[in-house]
Amino acid sequence: MPSNPPPSPAPSIQDATNIPPKSGAVDALNKAKQPPPESNETLWTRRLVILSFWAVVICLGIPIWWKTTTVYRAVLPLQAMMDWSDGKICRPVFPLQIFIDAPFLLPADAQNLIRTTQHALDDLNDFSAHHLRLLLSEPRSTSNFSQDIVQTTSIKGLGDETHDREDIALKINLIPGQSGSVPRSELQPYESRLDVFYTPNQIPSSSSTSSPLATFIANKLQFIFAEEQASLAYLLSQSNTGQQTQIKSMSQETAASLARQSTRSFKYAPTYHLTFSLFTPTSIPTEWDIEAALKEYMQPLLASLSSISEFTVDTQLQLYATFSPSVQQPEEDPTTGTWLLRKDDLSGFVNAAEWPLSPSIGKGPTVNFVLYVPTADQAPLVVKENRGNSWLVPQWGGVVILNPPYGEKTKTPSTLTKNDLQPAMLTFSNQLLSLLGLPQSPASLPLRISTLTRVRAASLLFSASSTLGALARLTQALESIAIPDTVAHSVDQTISRLHTACTDLREGRFHSALANARIAELEAEKAFFERSMVGQVYFPEEHKVAVYLPLLGPVSVPLIMAALKEVRKLRARAQAGA
Amino acid sequence: MLSKVLSIFLSIFFYFTCIALGSDYHERLLLRPLPQSALLASFNFRSNTSATSFEQQHFRYFPRSLGQILQHAGTKELHLRFSLGRWDAENWGARPWDGAREGGTGVELWAWVEAESNEEANSRWLTLTNALSGLFCASLNFIDATKTIRPVMTFQPEGHHPNSTTDNLHLLHGTLPHEVVCTENLTPFLKLLPCKGKAGISSLLDGHKLFDASWQSMAIDVRPLCEVDGSGCILEIEQTVDMVLDIDRSKRPRDNPIPRPIKPTDLECDASKPYHAHDSCYPLDKKAEVAWNLKDVFGRPIKGSCPITADRGPDSETVCINVAPEREVQIQTSGGWTESKSEDGFVRCYRIFGDSDFDLNFPSQLVDKTVPLAQPRLYAARSINGYGQERGSVQAVITNPSPVDTIDLIYLESLPWFMKPYIHTLKAAILPSTNSTPTPPIKETYYRPSLDRHRGTHLELLLTVPPVSKVILTYDFEKAILRYTEYPPDANRGFDVAPAVIRLLSPRAPRFPHSTPEALKRGTYLRTTSLLLPLPTPDFSMPYNVIILTSTVMALGFGSIFNPLVRRFVGVEEVGAAGLAGAVRLRGFLRGRVERLRARFGGKGGKGE
Repeated sequence: MPSNPPPSPAPSIQDATNIPPKSGAVDALNKAKQPPPESNETLWTRRLVILSFWAVVICLGIPIWWKTTTVYRAVLPLQAMMDWSDGKICRPVFPLQIFIDAPFLLPADAQNLIRTTQHALDDLNDFSAHHLRLLLSEPRSTSNFSQDIVQTTSIKGLGDETHDREDIALKINLIPGQSGSVPRSELQPYESRLDVFYTPNQIPSSSSTSSPLATFIANKLQFIFAEEQASLAYLLSQSNTGQQTQIKSMSQETAASLARQSTRSFKYAPTYHLTFSLFTPTSIPTEWDIEAALKEYMQPLLASLSSISEFTVDTQLQLYATFSPSVQQPEEDPTTGTWLLRKDDLSGFVNAAEWPLSPSIGKGPTVNFVLYVPTADQAPLVVKENRGNSWLVPQWGGVVILNPPYGEKTKTPSTLTKNDLQPAMLTFSNQLLSLLGLPQSPASLPLRISTLTRVRAASLLFSASSTLGALARLTQALESIAIPDTVAHSVDQTISRLHTACTDLREGRFHSALANARIAELEAEKAFFERSMVGQVYFPEEHKVAVYLPLLGPVSVPLIMAALKEVRKLRARAQAGA
Repeated sequence: MLSKVLSIFLSIFFYFTCIALGSDYHERLLLRPLPQSALLASFNFRSNTSATSFEQQHFRYFPRSLGQILQHAGTKELHLRFSLGRWDAENWGARPWDGAREGGTGVELWAWVEAESNEEANSRWLTLTNALSGLFCASLNFIDATKTIRPVMTFQPEGHHPNSTTDNLHLLHGTLPHEVVCTENLTPFLKLLPCKGKAGISSLLDGHKLFDASWQSMAIDVRPLCEVDGSGCILEIEQTVDMVLDIDRSKRPRDNPIPRPIKPTDLECDASKPYHAHDSCYPLDKKAEVAWNLKDVFGRPIKGSCPITADRGPDSETVCINVAPEREVQIQTSGGWTESKSEDGFVRCYRIFGDSDFDLNFPSQLVDKTVPLAQPRLYAARSINGYGQERGSVQAVITNPSPVDTIDLIYLESLPWFMKPYIHTLKAAILPSTNSTPTPPIKETYYRPSLDRHRGTHLELLLTVPPVSKVILTYDFEKAILRYTEYPPDANRGFDVAPAVIRLLSPRAPRFPHSTPEALKRGTYLRTTSLLLPLPTPDFSMPYNVIILTSTVMALGFGSIFNPLVRRFVGVEEVGAAGLAGAVRLRGFLRGRVERLRARFGGKGGKGE
């Protein structure tokens, strides 16, 4: 074909108008007629049209699209949250107040004694966050010993005034004794009081810096609070607050036992539901005197624990409830006639499918106590490895197998009396203490409970802080999740409560610290588990695009093409001009 | 005669139900063969707890899980029903328990909740339904405000409530007609029993057989009972399972459940018919009663007695059968048992000792005298009439068969909000119409209209049905159009409408001397079947189609506006060859194709000619 057009760089219609035809043959064939040249005005109109379309798209379309598809993200104090979780803001300290009551000492002597004892204590203590401060009790309470107790008990429950008293860690009574060259002490098991008996010659003189009595009291106090210090130190080391250096004195075993104890115990809650259940694979016993047994063996304990948590108690009796079928049937030991359960099977003993152990309704965890009465032909039933009959299920409850008294193969009575239940109830109360995370020592229950208060306050503080950190990291990692205002509000609440709790700890108000830390923890969990935050994540963006592609595609192609063409023409014009 | 039959019948049920405050656990099974080889099995379990130990949460035979729910939700009296199938009143006669332990198809729940205000009652009701939903693995949590009504006349508390609290008691009622009752509801039901299906009559309850029944109803009733002087209250939980089994069907082995035709040699033919021949047969009704035993029908025998039932007295007899006196019954057990018969011989009760298996064997036998079947005092049927996607009407036919008694009744309808009745079309006609001035059958009307998406219609009517006549109740309704997201899965199946509840008010005691005060307190009830309401359903891919079509139209419009605005139009001859080349080439290509096709088809056509 002779009419091949010259390979011009951009053979568009408009170009054809500007470039004069080079070949006469083509010209002749087409009877070349040129379109009239475009006026500048139409050129500009076209440009303005394209520009205004793009302006609408950019100024109106994209913002509306952006506005309608973005998720709402409330502003969170991310830096503060991270700081809390890194432990940069609060370094919890535990100043314990110990009052010394020395009615038979001169004030000067007493002051001197306190000074020297404090000195000895500070030397012994290698955990700076936890320190004991000795104080001389007010003169008004020095009058009489028995009266003082009456006063203490009467003051309790008067509201805010009791705070000071409740937060006194320990009270030391100095009682002059006659015999013995070494001081002697006695810890009251049901009161936070330590009685120290001394002879007058053990009192330090005003000039001396040490005395046997001071050293004795210091050692004793250090011993009493050793476990508390260990568990607090363990807690601090677990939380990433950068205080690892302070636990150099802790042995491997202590750390391991503390770790075991913390995995075993329940998370702190203001209310616990205790469920006592009797399970028997047969139809006997059909009655148990649980009300009386609870009243005698459980109520006093629960009453003393009531300062940290509330407890509700319910009981049930279930017949025809065999243990889990996955457990190997117990074997008989021919020598003693006992039936042996293997230790490995204990974890599967509780028959979760059939035993009605649903958690109680209401806030707070349920602690289950299971009393299992084996069949007459499988009694006594014991654990093979240690011949024990009870075990603890971490963070769930405890199990006790109630065997008839050894030796006599008596039939199980149809009614279990209070006395039959006594050993089981004692085991249950031990298990309860251990499930609540109460320390093993010292021997005084109020002291252990107040230790628990401090440990719980600290652990709640750390857990709320780390939840805040996790939330901060989560919101940073997932850009597409929504953050409603409630979350921001909860975070603010948490932070303010954490501040209060931290101050409370520093000033020795442990109960109020616990209460604040609890609210902080609650709010932090609420923020972290906010339901509306997760919903959006699973709506893929490409679905929205796919649905609207029939609109976006045909609209955007001419827009882009027109813009490209215009830009190219402009560039050509610029080249031509140059 | 009728009253005598009724009295026998009623006495069977009321015989067991006199409350005894002493013993804490009762159970009883009544077996009654019905016509056409059906068998009514009626299980009843009752456990008591004293009010004080209930409050202190010491549970012995009262289930802890349910007790805690009741306490938490402030519920004083609870009635829960799981039902399946239809009671065939024409063949099976009057309902067990006078219908008081029966629910409408699906799940029905009503409770008296203690609350200071309506709002508090609603929130407690919500707590209750949610908790029960978890306990019974049922969708009870779907009973929301749209499915909840507060009946005015239909239900009366069965328990004794102190006068001081009655003002604060709120009755709430909810139904789930769509719920399919199945094994997962039976397992928690059995767990509530002290013997848990391991011993006693509850060992017969097996999901495979229970839900294979022609009709079955599981009921849980919790109510407080007090001594007359107001002291010593107890809380009673009554669990009832009633079912009608088809004996022939149940006897089929589970691994071969297909019914086989009877062999020709076993057929009993009516030789008196003119068309009787060696190869044709008019089968006779079987005269002999079929042979069956518990193991055939329930899949297993009774596994001994539940040892916590009473030691002596009528309560210790846990298995009763209601058969003709001359019907032969063989006991198969290795343990001990005793038998006692009622005066007229129609009821035999057995007491089981020990824990060995107990089975009742009924051999095939020709029996002349059949057990008299009590006839129901009222029949009711309800249906949807009309066609189309917009309107319909409901017709309920209530029949009073009694020749003498006029029956007063309360008719309760709880309709979903998307079914909007026109109350001005509500009409009740009496058939056959009498010539004398007819009294209008509707005495009182309680009507609470529905609010879209907030509550359903609540309609209660007090009706009178004269002897030997029918009342035909009709009303029209309009079908609402739901929002796209409000349609359930499988929307084309239709929407279930809860059964109507009918409570009989009169005639009362004098005609039925055996009605105990307890039974009177329970009342007599009747429920119609549920309805299936077809609603206009959209094509569910519609939104996407609409989006895509609209987008395409918008894109077309955009293109046809945009292109003229940004293009320049010139004459064809003004376009350079370069600009036209593409168009020319395309035309040439198309023309070539068309030519080729024409050549091919044209050639073939040519050959054919």
